[in-house]
Amino acid sequence: MSTLVHRRRFRLGHTVRVVSGVLIALLFLFPIFWMVLTSFKQQVDIFVSPPKLMFEVSFDAYIKYLERPDIIHKLVNTIIVAVGSALLSIVAGSMAGYALARIKLTGANAIGVLILLSRGVPPIALAVPMFLVARKLGLTDKHITLIVAYATFLIPYVMWLMRGFFLALPRELEEAAVIDGCSRFGAFMRIIVPLSMPGIISTFIFSMIMAWEELLFALVLTNRDATTIPVVIAGIAGDTDTGANWGALTAMGTITVVPVVIIALLVQKWLIQGLADGTTK
Amino acid sequence: MADLTVSSARPARTVATWNKLSDLTSRWSFMLPTIILLTAVLAYPLLYAVQISFSKFDLMTFGPGDWVGFSNYIKVLSDYRFWDSIRVTLVYLAFALPIQIALGFGIAYVINAPWWGRSAVRALFIIPLVVAPVVAGGIWRMILDPLWGLMNWVLGLVGIPALDWFGDPNLAMATIVIIDVWRWTPFVVLIATAALLSLPKDVFEAARIDGANWWQTLWMVALPLLVPVLAATFIVRWLGAVKMFDIVLASTFGGPGKSTVVVNLFIYQEAFRSLHFSESAAMAIIVLVLTMIITGILLGLSRKLEDVQ
Repeated sequence: MSTLVHRRRFRLGHTVRVVSGVLIALLFLFPIFWMVLTSFKQQVDIFVSPPKLMFEVSFDAYIKYLERPDIIHKLVNTIIVAVGSALLSIVAGSMAGYALARIKLTGANAIGVLILLSRGVPPIALAVPMFLVARKLGLTDKHITLIVAYATFLIPYVMWLMRGFFLALPRELEEAAVIDGCSRFGAFMRIIVPLSMPGIISTFIFSMIMAWEELLFALVLTNRDATTIPVVIAGIAGDTDTGANWGALTAMGTITVVPVVIIALLVQKWLIQGLADGTTK
Repeated sequence: MADLTVSSARPARTVATWNKLSDLTSRWSFMLPTIILLTAVLAYPLLYAVQISFSKFDLMTFGPGDWVGFSNYIKVLSDYRFWDSIRVTLVYLAFALPIQIALGFGIAYVINAPWWGRSAVRALFIIPLVVAPVVAGGIWRMILDPLWGLMNWVLGLVGIPALDWFGDPNLAMATIVIIDVWRWTPFVVLIATAALLSLPKDVFEAARIDGANWWQTLWMVALPLLVPVLAATFIVRWLGAVKMFDIVLASTFGGPGKSTVVVNLFIYQEAFRSLHFSESAAMAIIVLVLTMIITGILLGLSRKLEDVQ
């Protein structure tokens, strides 16, 4: 009898957990849903109370912004910078991660710790001097400047994650390759990299997302030619003179968020793994 | 192997040194790209910032001028606005971090109930996590708008009068905490679900057989096992949260008045609005040192916590 009550209580508790879990997840997604919904509204349907769920779908906000050549240009900038900085960081960071995981190097561990410590450096402490140096060298408003600036936080991240991936691989693999006549670099390229592809791809994607979203460096180091979309969005959100332009804000927000969400969901398994490893290892 | 055959004609000692040297080069060549890059874009700018912080900034050459010792530091340390921005940052951290951790682990427990949709629900929490913080600030600015925002309308349904989310200093602080919690709790949820799944089942079974109730199991069994993950998550979140900038810029813009000017925003404004580069550099270095010290303390505490068990 008592086990029956126990079991029933357990079942009830279980159902409550399942239902509230789904509700909480939906609650967290709601703001994004609301943004996408608002982006398809006309101005008259946005500024109403009570808020409208049913309305005439309009693409005005998108058309108005995407017709502007500068916005397309900034989207392209964002892609160039995100891909460029992720590529640069994955190459340099994986090699360094491999060095930390597998190669005996006097002093390398100290360098590794130093690089990890850089996570505590406030970006503004880098943005101010970078701006001054870039200005002096005529490098402001260039893609390459943002790409290397993003490497400051991407390389330490990649290095640490990839170190974990490499440590998990059996050591015998490279030893066999070296016996077969591979150089150290050859073994890395031919054996280690192909085996770590899942890790490399997920780390690459996560790096790309971080670069895609970055605001402070983009704000400081660009002013027109290399400006990225987050700067545009900050501009729209902070524009108090012309009043709240929610159509533009939500349309640009949707354009920024949707591709990233799709990519992230495609690699979700690796992404979660990467997050967990990056935190606890 | 290749250079062994080539160099075998040379005297043995040269060969040995040569091999040792080439071996050393090949070892270090893996670290080299990172070292070069980070020296150029991390170490050098930091040292330059230190130099600027000890100099009078020359707006003509747009670079550091005369050496002025600690006077920039003294100046910013006696500037109440700097202290205010630090206080604002600390208040934000004191609310946002514990809420995120507690909520994140709580939600993780709830969504870990085994059923066929569990992994799908977990995957949904990735979505807020990849919303750019500046977009998150923008969305919530719209939702919390006092006149047309969804939040006040919903509150109105349950009889709560319209709140001025951006006009009242305390509510504005609540606003940035809410946005930050929304953006970052999913991160904690994902880490916590992984941690909860890896807890050993037999310990819980033993606790159940010993007649421990739900509350006892949580406090005496689950929490102690989770301490390392809790501590690690807290430290990672702390390192992220001290960098708070985007969300404030896109939502409250530091207002009303200066009530939500976090320290990064203040330094940014001093540098790029007022062109006070020396003072900004000094403040940035102070924040850097403070962050390192507090991180060190947190790491020490977490190690001590783990030892206690």
